[in-house]
Amino acid sequence: MFNNQEIKSDDIISLTNTLRWELGIDFHDKIIESIYADASKIAKQSIQIEDAKNSTILDQKIDNIITSKWFGFPIMFLLLAIVFWITVAGANIPSSWLAAILLDTIHPFLKNIASQIGMPWWLDGVLIDGAYMAFAWVVSVMLPPMAIFFPLFTLLEDLGYLPRVAFNMDSLFRKAGAHGKQALTMSMGFGCNAAGVVATRVIDSPRERLIAIITNNFSLCNGRWPTQILIATIFIGGLVPSHWAGLVSAGAVVSIAVLGIVFSLLVSWGLSKSILRGQASTFSLELPPYRPPRILQTLYTSLIDRTILVLWRAIAFTIPAGIIIWLVANIYIGELSLAEYFIDWANPFAFYFGLNGVILLAYIIAIPANEIVIPTILMLTVINSGLTGIGEGAGVMFELDSVADTKRILTAGGWTLLTAINLMLFSLLHNPCSTTLYTIYKETKSIKWTAISALLPLTIGFIVCFFVTQLWLLFSS
Amino acid sequence: MVLLLRPITALLIGTIFLMLLAWLLWPRKGLISFWSKRSQNMKRKLQEDALKFIFDCEYKHKSCGLHSISGNMNLSTNKAAKIITQLQSIGLIVMKEDEIRLTDAGRSDALKIIRIHRLWEKYLADETAIGNVEWHHGADSKEHLMSLKEVDILAANMGNPVFDPHGDPIPTNKGELPTYQVQSSLSSLKEGDIARITHIEDEPSIIYAQLVALDLYPGMEVYIMDVTDEKIQFAANGKECILNVLFASNITVEKLSKIEPTQKKYQTLSSLNVGDKAQVIGISPKCRGQERIRLMDLGIVPGTEISAVLKSAFGDPTAYKIMGATIAIRKKQADNIYIKSRQNRNEQTARLRELSSVS
Amino acid sequence: MSKQRGCENCQAYRKEQLIRLGIEIDQYDYVIALAGNPNTGKSTVFNNLTGLRQHTGNWPGKTVTRAEGGYSYAGKQYKLVDLPGTYSLLSTSKEEEVARDFILFGQPDVTVIVADATRLERNLNLVLQILEITDKAVLCLNLMDEAERNHIKINDRALSKALGIPVVTAVARQKKGMDVLINTIENVATGKYVCKPHRIKSFSPKLDHAVALLVEKLSRKFKNIPNLNWVALRLLEGDQHIIEAVRTEELGQLSENLKSV
Repeated sequence: MFNNQEIKSDDIISLTNTLRWELGIDFHDKIIESIYADASKIAKQSIQIEDAKNSTILDQKIDNIITSKWFGFPIMFLLLAIVFWITVAGANIPSSWLAAILLDTIHPFLKNIASQIGMPWWLDGVLIDGAYMAFAWVVSVMLPPMAIFFPLFTLLEDLGYLPRVAFNMDSLFRKAGAHGKQALTMSMGFGCNAAGVVATRVIDSPRERLIAIITNNFSLCNGRWPTQILIATIFIGGLVPSHWAGLVSAGAVVSIAVLGIVFSLLVSWGLSKSILRGQASTFSLELPPYRPPRILQTLYTSLIDRTILVLWRAIAFTIPAGIIIWLVANIYIGELSLAEYFIDWANPFAFYFGLNGVILLAYIIAIPANEIVIPTILMLTVINSGLTGIGEGAGVMFELDSVADTKRILTAGGWTLLTAINLMLFSLLHNPCSTTLYTIYKETKSIKWTAISALLPLTIGFIVCFFVTQLWLLFSS
Repeated sequence: MVLLLRPITALLIGTIFLMLLAWLLWPRKGLISFWSKRSQNMKRKLQEDALKFIFDCEYKHKSCGLHSISGNMNLSTNKAAKIITQLQSIGLIVMKEDEIRLTDAGRSDALKIIRIHRLWEKYLADETAIGNVEWHHGADSKEHLMSLKEVDILAANMGNPVFDPHGDPIPTNKGELPTYQVQSSLSSLKEGDIARITHIEDEPSIIYAQLVALDLYPGMEVYIMDVTDEKIQFAANGKECILNVLFASNITVEKLSKIEPTQKKYQTLSSLNVGDKAQVIGISPKCRGQERIRLMDLGIVPGTEISAVLKSAFGDPTAYKIMGATIAIRKKQADNIYIKSRQNRNEQTARLRELSSVS
Repeated sequence: MSKQRGCENCQAYRKEQLIRLGIEIDQYDYVIALAGNPNTGKSTVFNNLTGLRQHTGNWPGKTVTRAEGGYSYAGKQYKLVDLPGTYSLLSTSKEEEVARDFILFGQPDVTVIVADATRLERNLNLVLQILEITDKAVLCLNLMDEAERNHIKINDRALSKALGIPVVTAVARQKKGMDVLINTIENVATGKYVCKPHRIKSFSPKLDHAVALLVEKLSRKFKNIPNLNWVALRLLEGDQHIIEAVRTEELGQLSENLKSV
């Protein structure tokens, strides 16, 4: 016991420092080397590799095809196209079922009950037309594509194919200062940006991960495809003879998506050269052996981990937004509703960007999900232009089955081809939805990066729309 | 839609606005970063720099006078004298005859600044992607801004490093430093000597930039090939360099008692063809921080067998088989990994045949 | 549990006694740490034992957060802590710090190291590092089916002898070998199996000397600590937690705890 007192812990620490100076700079490496040396000795005693040549021959053959110059990219595009096609084609049916149940059956049913129990009109409006409607909309539009897209993607991941895609694409992404795995988080973003942001966890280098998170929003997500398709069909498809219309409008939508990829790469490059220049960066990409995927397990986990997680967050944000949407359309100050006040106030400013007050208001109040932007725009346009006989009343979002009717509403709201093009651009280049923003905050734990992720695309969006509009006006006058 | 401004005017305003924005925000050259650089307290900075210099003289048992300060800090003698009077009046230094000495307070202040400076350099080198020419400058502006507490946390997170990236010891938070040992510089070596670089002086920055351009780092093994009065020719980790003697004197080395260099010519992993095998000799000291840890975690340590198995569609990255796993790394990283290639069995037998046919 | 696979007749097969407790575990008899390289199927083993369903994928580093769960076997409650997957325990990254500190300060009763049988040599790096810290460990050689497919034969007995800890072969994806693993964990936790872990004998002469000097000083201050070599190494690496533990003499507390167990 007495002996203990002789040695002070501070002495031990200062001895440590002296020893460390004597050891020099590379002793850490030496430790690891000695451990590996022992590991190798033990491994030699206990591992036998029979016929090393034969061992990975199948994997090698598959790899040689998948990463070859000629087959690599066609295979990749083909597989991704199949995944998207299955998603789009497959989601339609359950989506219309859900819409039929949630929007067309339960909504009137709830309204009915509300009127029977004598609920005051404003409470009925806030709860059923606002909150419930937004919830129903998000579930019916968001759930089916995600429930199809994520399992398919996860299957490719489990199989071991996705790391090979990253391997092939790295060359391109390296030039943009990013990581090859960003190709995957980007593709995931085409399904849902929030899920794409979560998926950036596989990028193990801090700088490249931040780049992938901030630029994920440039992937045109599931919630924005319908907007693009609708507007392109009405305004761009309408420019050409009807037998070309489908092709031309599809081309317009695809160009927007490609423009998104171009922006994603450009912004990645810019970020890696400016604000993220100093962040640490490493690269290593393990190509795991191909494994037969476990279908049921995959279905279950991708549903729980990705679909439900994202859907839950989206619902949590949409319900309050639904209430706000209803309120701005129904709270009146004097003659005009809050919505009309804002629209009138914002119009002169919005026109410089080729947009209008309705669009700006819709993007502000429909921030929880891009899915509800178009219904909100339609509802606001109807209120603002004083159309009657269309829609479900103030504050109730709606969509029309007929494209021609939708066109009528929008033209009555003063929309032109220029407005349509700018809406398509702005739909690609604006702040991420609040679900994604919340996810970004969760992943980065930083308000700074969340703010940058929101403001950067928004600024780019306004700049692009401004120049497109002004140049258009310059050349058309 | 009625717009007040005509498109051409709007376009003009828009463009000017964008240019203004760029001018404000441009990284490192924009107005905002310019202001933030300007706002540092110039007077305090000069004092602290002088203090650091005086400490360095004392540490290296060199005498330190007014002229060496003004010369080293690039100041006029008048200005240097003013700073010295200031330092004297706050009791950080005393003059003994013609020599400047630090008081205890001055020494502890100097140690504090040096600790922050070197730790910050270490941080920039290991935890960020900032290039080595900027380390010194970055640390120079940081050393006047950080508190000791902040720097202790920084040190703890980095595993309390004891050397900065140039090979200088970092003072502990109690102000301990190892006693200075006179070490030989590269310029003092003879032909055929083998040594390891222990330190590269980062001032003046012009010389340092030159040494960085040659890819010289502490930890490298040098083999002296030829020495003349003006120039010294040597191989550093297998790469041949020629340096002016003045420049070479900024590199400190530790002589190794080897007769043969570990490797005459270092081959890098990036030169390995697909299908070929090799053995890892080491990772260049140029590769540091997380990057180095990652590579070592993957099993890239001396003695490991490695073979190139697959090139990606564009040719970079390349996948290597390391300890049973297939791992892709980029060419730039593979450039920093040294290997000893193993001759293919075919080549070997071919050579044997050649030999037998000769005899 | 309707599908019974593997060794149904052997002694170790007492799977009926396994009750998966999910996350509902408040009282436990033993703490089991689960460590391993990324992408070795660590999460799958965790899910098998606890009945939880953490997402797993064919990517390195899927598990980001530390997960806890539990199971009950042969009347004892086990708390299972899934540590982040790491390649090593020697660097300053957050994940490694969590894993390293839990194994040293958390003092798990058993540390189960899940290793990929197809990359055993690389995995051994981590195994040897863990064995420097703790005495009680079990090596679970996962992905044996893949190893077999790749014609890799592993002599698990020789391996067990070289490492001084029990080695269990498994195919976690098919739930093979889990019964033996559970049984082995019990044996090590209760002391029926006494580990004699492999320790690194020598680094470089200079480093050995430094470690010896520190160990001598430490051993006079802190008695009954089994892994002073590791403590010395960590001091030399500048590990803040260890430095604090030495400074505040918390390290001594650690040995007190060990004695009482």
